Amino acid sequence: MSAESIDIIFNPWLRTLLGLCLIGAVFGGAMLVVWFERKLSGDIQFRLGPKYVGPFGIFQLVADAIKLMTKEDLIPSKADKLLFVSAPIALMGSVFMMLVAIPFGAVVINGVEYPIVATEMDISLLYIEAVSSISIIGAFMYAYSSNNKYSLLGAFRNFARMIGYEVPLGITMVSIAIMVGSLNIVEIAQAQSPIWFIFLQPLGFLVFFVALMADMGRLPFDQNESEEELVAGWITEYSGMRFGLGFFAEYIHLILGSMLVVLLFLGGWNLPAFLTNITILGIFLPTIYFLLKVALVILTIIMLRWAVPRFRIDQVVDLSWKRLLPLSLLNLGWAIMLGIYLGA
Amino acid sequence: MDENVGPSEMIVHLGPQHPMQPGPFRLNLRLRGETVVDAEIELGFIHKGIEKILESKTYLQGIPIVDRICYLTAMTNEEAYVGAVEKLADIEVPERSQYIRVILEELSRLQSHLLGMGEFGEFIGFVSMFMYTIKEREDILTLMDMVTGARVTHTFLKYGGVRGDLPEGFREKSATIFAGLKEQIAEYRRLFNGDEIYKQRCFGVGTLEAKTARDLGVSGPALRATGVAFDIRKDEPYLVYKDLDFKVCTATDGDIAARIEVRLDEMLEAMYIIEQCLDQMPSGPLFYEDSLYGVRTPTMRVPEGDVFHRVEDPRGEMGFYVVSDGSDKPHRVKIRGPVYPTMQALPPLIKGTTVADVAAIAGSMDGCTSEADR
Repeated sequence: MSAESIDIIFNPWLRTLLGLCLIGAVFGGAMLVVWFERKLSGDIQFRLGPKYVGPFGIFQLVADAIKLMTKEDLIPSKADKLLFVSAPIALMGSVFMMLVAIPFGAVVINGVEYPIVATEMDISLLYIEAVSSISIIGAFMYAYSSNNKYSLLGAFRNFARMIGYEVPLGITMVSIAIMVGSLNIVEIAQAQSPIWFIFLQPLGFLVFFVALMADMGRLPFDQNESEEELVAGWITEYSGMRFGLGFFAEYIHLILGSMLVVLLFLGGWNLPAFLTNITILGIFLPTIYFLLKVALVILTIIMLRWAVPRFRIDQVVDLSWKRLLPLSLLNLGWAIMLGIYLGA
Repeated sequence: MDENVGPSEMIVHLGPQHPMQPGPFRLNLRLRGETVVDAEIELGFIHKGIEKILESKTYLQGIPIVDRICYLTAMTNEEAYVGAVEKLADIEVPERSQYIRVILEELSRLQSHLLGMGEFGEFIGFVSMFMYTIKEREDILTLMDMVTGARVTHTFLKYGGVRGDLPEGFREKSATIFAGLKEQIAEYRRLFNGDEIYKQRCFGVGTLEAKTARDLGVSGPALRATGVAFDIRKDEPYLVYKDLDFKVCTATDGDIAARIEVRLDEMLEAMYIIEQCLDQMPSGPLFYEDSLYGVRTPTMRVPEGDVFHRVEDPRGEMGFYVVSDGSDKPHRVKIRGPVYPTMQALPPLIKGTTVADVAAIAGSMDGCTSEADR
């Protein structure tokens, strides 16, 4: 790589532009996922799902977003106004901070791989793990500020779950890093070029997937929301776009989480060299391949949501501390042995 | 309930409007963290004054009113009221009519259990279950619609008989629908019992003791799930139930899973009863023309006296106490519904469980506020 090309890649203006594009893409993606989830759940439950706005109801969420934005900005009179207003910002902020470090694919030009990521850093995995747990503070701000008992219960559940799940989640991430010998998520993705890590660490994948589901608050782990008991849990008092932001943050979290699964365990964007050496394929194919895998993971998570009942919160905490934590530690030991064997 | 809260306690009022409820009622919970320390139920938010309305209507006008006590059990409510008046006025019902009544009541049991189970599924977070059962329920409602011309409030019974005969093709259509429903019930069993989360949520949770249940007057599937084989269709047969072969479905554990199991069994049993009825049904008149009441129901007068008649509702024991003063309107009507005692059993059941279990237990008890308040 020549000095000029490196200059271009690290040009801050270009990076900013790329970051903004990715934010746009992830918002569009979240809309698509919401539509997809509604359509798929309709299919699972013998319903039609959205169908009137646009072909197959694909613009339903645009209509919903317009509705949310034009709604009255309602703040309960006894709410803590500062927290109430800043909660969506904290939540969205955490998601965007995650977004800057996650690669969305790669472009291969002349055999050189340029990952599509807003910023490349050497500790991106650690960074992602750190900023993703900020979202819990956002959720707690949502719940605490609205001065509602259901919300508060939801927030307590959120915290109990988070404390339980961040530990096994972190340990499985660390075991990947130990095996590869790097905390850089791009390098981790590239290291899977001959063999996916799901085959090297099947146990780790299992723990990571379950913990991630809990982290994203998807059923069977949506105790913070559980509408039958807590009305809407932490988001009960919110309406309009403030609610919309919380809702979107959840779906963006889902997309980013699925990307993490693909990046860490399902081989990232790596394709055999004979495919990527063809210029046109090299530019588009790795990204498409990567996003297809992400879509597959999202599909699995959505289908799971409509097929199982919900855990009770004490059962979730039990599961995380008594089952997943020992399993993740076991996996850590296995990863260290593999790392030594592979000579990382 | 004492409104003073101790350290780390909080009082939460579930209701009168809450996603968990089959109608407006209030559940006052004292929570310590997630645990329910104390609970209290308040009913009466949708008291409709059905008993009083019945006193101001003639006997015939009363039938549509009892339909509206609860739309899930419209048919059994009708049977309870009409049966009571028939007993009082000593009106004889031809056998064919009795069979048709049995068929409709069992259909009503089927659709009530289906809806109840769907709601229960939703309460434990398995939202798809509601859509599955509501689809099957629609088929059952179609069957009822074929006979009565209405999906939920039928007004089909008549003193001394029923309004119409079974239509052409009822038997064939019911056969296909039942075949599908039987498959579905097996599927529900698989969905529930094969699910690890369901096992953790429902086995050994919300256990109702047989003695508590008896003391509170709980009846129906909730009582039978505790092992007490109490079923009015067997213990005090009305209509032609004594000629039919069916078993009283019971379970022993008395927990959430047992109640669901009993309902699933009862649905199979109800279909078996209907099939028998269709086989055994004699031909004959729907009501005796020569009886005083066959033609002159609008102005019918009932001799003085009082009577209590009870039937097995999908949710338990439904009874009507009717006092007549010899005029064309009942002097006094008292309704003994199954749901009020069932709902009273809720606070002792949920004490000591968690908030999440409250929804699951309430769902498994299959309450209906409209029926409890009347």
